[in-house]
Amino acid sequence: MNRRDALQHVALLFGSMISAPAMAGALGEKTYFGESVPVNAEQEAFLSELADVIIPTTSTPGAKAAGVEKFIVRVMRDCFPKEDQEKFYAGLTQLNTDSRTAFGKSFVELDASQKIQAVKSLTTSNKDFFLRVKELTVTGYFTSEIGATKAMEYLPIPGRFEGCVPLKPGQKAWAL
Amino acid sequence: MYLNIDAQKEMTYDAIVVGSGVSGGWAAKELTEKGLRVLMLEKGRKLEHVTGYENAMKDPWQTKYNGRLTVEQKTSHPKLSRDYPYNEMSEKYWMNDSDSLYKEVKRFDWYRPNIVGGKSIMWGRQSYRLSDIDFEANLKDGIAIDWPIRYKDIAPWYSYVEKIAGISGEKLGLPQLPDSEFLPPMEMYCVEKEVRKRIEKEFPGRTMTIGRVANLTKPTQFMVDNGRAACQYRNKCALGCPFGAYFSTQSCTLPLAAKTGKLTLRPDSVVTNLIYDENRKKATGVRVVDAVTLEERIFNADIIFVCGSALGTTAVLLNSISNRFPNGFGNDSGELGHNLMDHHFRTGASGTWEGDADKYYFGRRANGIYVPRYRNIGNDKRDYLRGFGYQGGGSRASWQRNVAELSFGADFKEELTKPGPWSMGLGGFGETLPYHENRMYLDPKEKDKWGMPLVVFDAELKENEKKMRVDMANDAAEMLEKAGVKNVKSYDRGSWLGMAIHEMGTARMGRDPKTSVLNGNNQVHACKNVFVTDGACMVSASCVNPSLTYMALTARAVDFAMKEKKKGNL
Repeated sequence: MNRRDALQHVALLFGSMISAPAMAGALGEKTYFGESVPVNAEQEAFLSELADVIIPTTSTPGAKAAGVEKFIVRVMRDCFPKEDQEKFYAGLTQLNTDSRTAFGKSFVELDASQKIQAVKSLTTSNKDFFLRVKELTVTGYFTSEIGATKAMEYLPIPGRFEGCVPLKPGQKAWAL
Repeated sequence: MYLNIDAQKEMTYDAIVVGSGVSGGWAAKELTEKGLRVLMLEKGRKLEHVTGYENAMKDPWQTKYNGRLTVEQKTSHPKLSRDYPYNEMSEKYWMNDSDSLYKEVKRFDWYRPNIVGGKSIMWGRQSYRLSDIDFEANLKDGIAIDWPIRYKDIAPWYSYVEKIAGISGEKLGLPQLPDSEFLPPMEMYCVEKEVRKRIEKEFPGRTMTIGRVANLTKPTQFMVDNGRAACQYRNKCALGCPFGAYFSTQSCTLPLAAKTGKLTLRPDSVVTNLIYDENRKKATGVRVVDAVTLEERIFNADIIFVCGSALGTTAVLLNSISNRFPNGFGNDSGELGHNLMDHHFRTGASGTWEGDADKYYFGRRANGIYVPRYRNIGNDKRDYLRGFGYQGGGSRASWQRNVAELSFGADFKEELTKPGPWSMGLGGFGETLPYHENRMYLDPKEKDKWGMPLVVFDAELKENEKKMRVDMANDAAEMLEKAGVKNVKSYDRGSWLGMAIHEMGTARMGRDPKTSVLNGNNQVHACKNVFVTDGACMVSASCVNPSLTYMALTARAVDFAMKEKKKGNL
C-alpha cells in the first residue's frame, strides 16, 4: 500500500473521502492555494532599484547586485496574507505616482540623488511601507551570498570558540 | 494448527523499547550491550545520522525565507507555529498538526517530533544534575509524594552516562547543582565574565557559570571512536549535527547499540498499547500500527521499556486496557495522567552593556550562561515554594539590529557591517509543582488516524508559579542593574504548559503502589516486566533541564532489570 492509498484507506475507515487539497496536505504537497498578488517583471525591477537605494553599492556590492528583489517578492508572496501583499504593492505603485508628481519621471528613471530624495519622502509619506521594504531588503541582503560574504565576515564552520578577543581595527561583523 | 516459526521469531525479542529519543536510545544501548536482542519502535520516520540532516549545512542564501514561516505553514500548523521550535529549517522534524491531533481544555503546547531520535535531535542540550534539595523537596514541603530515591542512588549513574554522552561545563561544588563529569567548559564573553564577578560580589550565595551543555568541547578517545568530533561552533545544533558533536540518539546511543548487532530499529511504528497476559501477570508485547500503511502487528518480548516521551508514554499506558487494568496500564493508583509538569519560563530581564566595544568573539557558541538556583535554599525563604535558575548570556548585535529607524543608504549599510552594541539577558526557568488536578486523559470518542484516542490536556500554572515569576523578573533586573548593565527592562511574555518541552510527571515513581505508578527502579509497581524511564516518571520537576536525569535513570533501570532477569523475577 502506498502512502496515498493508505491515507485514503484511513479516510474510508472514518467514513469519508479525503478531499484533494487535504490529501495533498497530508502528503506534504503544496496546499496553500490562497490568492497571491501577481507581480510582474516591471515591479520586480522597481523593487530592485528601491532596495538598491536602501542598501547601495559602496566598497561592496549593493542590494541590486545581490538580487534582493527575488527574496522580497518570495517572502511577500508566501509569508504574508493577501491583504498585506495588496498594501505592499499599492505602496510601491504610490511611490511611482509620487515620483512622477515630484520629478515628472517614474522611480526607476530618476537619477541617484532624486531616488534618495524620493525614498526620504517615502519615510514620512508611507512609513509602514518604507519599514517593510527596508526590513526585507536588510534581511534579504545580509543573508544573500554577496551580502554575507562581501559586506560581512562569513565563516560557516569556525571550528573553535573564543569568547573574549580584541576587535581588530576595521573588522567587519560576523554574518552569522 | 499451522505455526509460522520464522515469523514468530521475527516478531519476538528479548526486549522492546518504545521510542528512540533520549531515554529510548539509552535503553536500547544498555539492553543490547548486556546481550539482549532488542526491538526499538519509533513512530516517526527514519532519520539517518549526517546524511539525513538536509538543512544542517545550508548557507543562508540557500533557504527560501531565512527561517520565516509561510502563511501556508501557519495555517496548517496553528499549534506548532505558536513558538520558535517550528520554522522553515526544522519543519520536517516535527509532526504535522494535521496528524498530531489533541484537545485543550486549557492551552497546552505539545511539540511532538516525527523522527528517529525524537527530541534528542532538536533539544537544547542543557544538562544538569538534580540534587538532594530536589529529591527531598516534596517530603519537606508536604507536596504530592516523596521521591523513592535520593541523590546517592542516581549519582553513579549520572557519572556513567556523562562519560559516554559528553557534558561540558565548569565545576562549582554547589549542593543545589552537583557537578557532572565534565569536558572542558566553553568560554564566557567578556561581558559575561564581568557580570559574573559583580553578581558574586553584590549577591553572596549567587553565581553565574557557563551553561552545562551536551556538546563535545574536547571529545575523549571513546567518543572519537564512536564517530564523534569536537563542536565546530556553528550553532546550528537543532538541525542535526553532521559532526556528531552534541549528544543525540543518532550521534551517541544508536551507533553503540547497533555495534552489538542485537538491535532492530523499526521506524514508522506507532505503538498503540501494551498487551497484558492475565495468567502470567506480565506484559507480553505491544501492538503496533504502521504509520504509513496502517498495517497492524504484534511484537512480543520479555521486557518492555516504554520511553515514548512523558505524554506519548502516558497515552500508550492509558490506552492499554485489560481486565486487570481497566483504567490504564499499571494504574491501580489512579495517578496515571496526573501531576503533569513542565518548567515555566519566558520571564526575566535584559539590557545593554556599554563596555567592551573593542572586544569580540570567534565562533558561534551553542550555549549560554547559567545562574544556579538560589531561592528557598539555606536561610532564604520566599512566599512560594521551590525556585528557578536563569539561562541567558551576552551577545553582540550584528546586522539584525535596528539602527535609526528611518535611515537608509550608504552610511546605514556601512554601520550595519560593523559589530553593534553588547547586551546581556537572563531568562528564568522555574519549577512547577506536581498538582494532582493538572492532568492529561484520553478522549473517549475521537481517535487519530492510527486509531489512538486523542489526548486531552487540562493543566495550568497556579499561584505558586505566578508568585515565583514575579521574582524571576525582578531578580533578573536587579542582578543586571547591580552588575552595571544599562537600560535594564524586565519582561514576562507568559508561559503555558508544554511550551518549555520539559513534560514530566504523568506516571510518577514512588514507594507506595497506592499513590504512584512506578517504583524506585522505574518499574511498573503492578507489572514487573514493564519500565518507564522518560519524563513521565518524575515526582517533582526541579528547575533544571531534565534530560540528563532521564539518561541516568534509564541506565540505572536497565541495570536493575538485568539483575532481576537473572534472578528470574521478570
